[in-house]
Amino acid sequence: MWAYITKRLLLSVPVILGVAFMVFAMVRVLPGDPARIIAGEAATQEIVEGIRKDMGLDQPLLRQFATFAMSVLRGDFGRSVRSKAPVGGEIAARLPNTIRLATAGLGIAVLVGVSAGVISAIRPYSLIDTAVMLVALAGLSMPVFWSGLMLILVFAVWLKWLPAVGTGGIEHLVLPAVTLGMSTAAIIARMSRSSMLEVLRSDYIRTARAKGLAEAAVVNRHAFRNALIPVITVVGLQMGTLLSGAVLTETVFAWPGIGRLLVEGILARDYPIVQASVLVVAMAFVMVNLTVDVLYAVVDPRIHYD
Amino acid sequence: MRRVLALMAAIALTGALVISAAAAPAVTPTRGGTLIVGSGVDAVTLDAPMITDSPSATVSEHMVESLYRLTPEGRIVPMLALGHTVSADGRTWTVRLRTGVRFHDGTPFDAEAAKFNLDRMLDPATRAPFRFLISRITSVTVVDSSTIRLVTDAPFAPLLAHFTHSSVGMQSPTAVRRLGVDYARQPVGTGPFRFKEWVRGDRVVMTRNDDYWGEKAFLDEVQFRVIPDDGARVAALEAGSIHVAVRVPPREIERLKTARDFTVSVTDSLRTIYVGFNVTRPPFNDVRLRRALNHAVNKRAIVAGALYGTARVSDAPIVPAVEGYSKIMTYDWDLERAEALLREAGFSRARPLRAVFLHPSGRYIRDAEIAASIQGLVRRAGIELELRTMEWGAYLALTNRPQPENDVQMYMLGWGTVTGDADYGLYALFHSSQWVPTGSNRSFYKNERVDALLDRGRITVDQAERNKIYAEAMKTIMDDAPWLFLHSESQVTGIRHVAQGVIVHPAERVELFKAWLRR
Repeated sequence: MWAYITKRLLLSVPVILGVAFMVFAMVRVLPGDPARIIAGEAATQEIVEGIRKDMGLDQPLLRQFATFAMSVLRGDFGRSVRSKAPVGGEIAARLPNTIRLATAGLGIAVLVGVSAGVISAIRPYSLIDTAVMLVALAGLSMPVFWSGLMLILVFAVWLKWLPAVGTGGIEHLVLPAVTLGMSTAAIIARMSRSSMLEVLRSDYIRTARAKGLAEAAVVNRHAFRNALIPVITVVGLQMGTLLSGAVLTETVFAWPGIGRLLVEGILARDYPIVQASVLVVAMAFVMVNLTVDVLYAVVDPRIHYD
Repeated sequence: MRRVLALMAAIALTGALVISAAAAPAVTPTRGGTLIVGSGVDAVTLDAPMITDSPSATVSEHMVESLYRLTPEGRIVPMLALGHTVSADGRTWTVRLRTGVRFHDGTPFDAEAAKFNLDRMLDPATRAPFRFLISRITSVTVVDSSTIRLVTDAPFAPLLAHFTHSSVGMQSPTAVRRLGVDYARQPVGTGPFRFKEWVRGDRVVMTRNDDYWGEKAFLDEVQFRVIPDDGARVAALEAGSIHVAVRVPPREIERLKTARDFTVSVTDSLRTIYVGFNVTRPPFNDVRLRRALNHAVNKRAIVAGALYGTARVSDAPIVPAVEGYSKIMTYDWDLERAEALLREAGFSRARPLRAVFLHPSGRYIRDAEIAASIQGLVRRAGIELELRTMEWGAYLALTNRPQPENDVQMYMLGWGTVTGDADYGLYALFHSSQWVPTGSNRSFYKNERVDALLDRGRITVDQAERNKIYAEAMKTIMDDAPWLFLHSESQVTGIRHVAQGVIVHPAERVELFKAWLRR
């Protein structure tokens, strides 16, 4: 197992380097001059040229990449061209927020999604199944900027139970996590239901029932664990997505996370910010994927890595 | 009988008391508390000369002060300066500075410090985007500890107005030298509030400066919180999580009128919104077509419909609050006139004028909606506009190309004359030396008469004379119609009743210098 993890980590190095180069090239292909955006529409050309020079944008592309790659290897992501703040610090300030929100959101999603999926699967095509799946469909279809605002309206403006926006204690986390969790829960619910249905129709379940096991035991011990594999895949993918920042949720709830940093960086053509944020996101994906693969082996004894 | 009279007198008295209390709420401000402002975007940098956006300037001005200040009423008053004299040739300025002032880190504010800040802004290596505001200064010398002398290469009338700009703020030389590039995240000025912390993307926090040289602030602390979503910002105001919400969407005004805990104020801004034409290329090298568009657009309908009345139809390229403004004219909404002009220029319903219209989305209040309104309005005159919505960065790059390669036909932009002086609102936009990428003349407008007038406005010290010069220049400009003149924006701000003394400045700032919280 450890050999496998080491191998996977080593393999991720070229992946991340590839991502780094692609992002590096992509931000430079985008129309729009970062120096002009920083200097504003009123500044003279002389100032804009000066900023370009300071940023090293007058250098050949390959040399720019070499400089960037070397400093990244030294752990230096450079400074934001707009705010002059060290990029490493900018990310370090936001990453905990993103992780907090992603974990809480996913926690809610898994709890709600898996239970809903299993309940639906046990009584397929019943009234409760239809109701649960209808709610899931609604959850999936509701745009976050609408559902988020509705939650703020009800729980912050009317009931005054929770703060409307911003970060702080656990009470600040509830609304954004629920908003984020809702759409993810819907995806997980649908996945758990179909996976569970498939397992419940398989031969060994019939055997388990035939030998007289209680239905609860059949579902919990025999079916559930086997139905988990595709669910873990989906949860892993969702975790990766959530870690790359839930821009809309972060925007509605004024939550300073990686997603907003990245989008604002792109809009301002803040190359160092974009490059570093995407690298961090890529690393998060690699780590989540690896964790998912390891979890497969834990859940399913048939899977093992040598 | 006597008792009845006494009773009546008592009723009359208390009644009078109630009325007087309502008429003049002589409430004395209370000290203390934290006031929270919900802003749409975070500050970018807090190093004064590097600031280009009003959210950063708003935060900065609570901590860093300039030599002069532009009051919300549009007057220029001394701030860290006490006064100035100008030599007879108009090229040497002697500025007397306030004495006994210290920066938040204890460094004295004196002539050396003022010189340090002006030199720093003038140094091309600083890359100060607003360097051009004071770039006519060729030397700054220290006369004595509280006097500096400035020499300009030519008489430069707008200098005083330019000294009010937040980018010419006075910052502690010790802190700037010591912190270097990190200074931008922990500014040290002389203002009524001192920097406490900046949680990136979330909030900037400041505390009262108890050693302030002027009238001290009432609030213990002020916070500028970032709430990017308009709806969420209004909800936060309704929920009481914040005291002030900037940029309330105009469509919310009607609904919020019934609110009991806060009011929505509509304040003029110094920002003019316009549609520019490239006057060097067909079709808009023909002034008749530019005038036709000006006549074809019902500006009043845009202000009333798209902006819910929260704007003012332009009657000059600058707004009334700007020194040098005078009412020039407004192109009447006149479809017949527009069609006649189009016919003269060889266009008709059968052969309509077609053009591509570039516009940003989300940069100015309801910009995309306004662009669509223009498209719909001019269609009635037989003009077919193709809208191209662009992301801001790409848009700037496209409209900023030099004339030979610039094929933009029509573009929408805004310009805030934040110095409150006509020179800043006209020179960079209409002088032929200011064609992009050098300046901000994206229409490639060139009229020698206008050039001469704008040059004269810069060197004329007498304000009455300057006003005449600018009126003359603006008349020619509006007649030449390098722009489709639209409107000036208003700032819609929600303020909770507990927050008193909050000032919304026309330069798009929220000022809390004298604000206080009612208990």
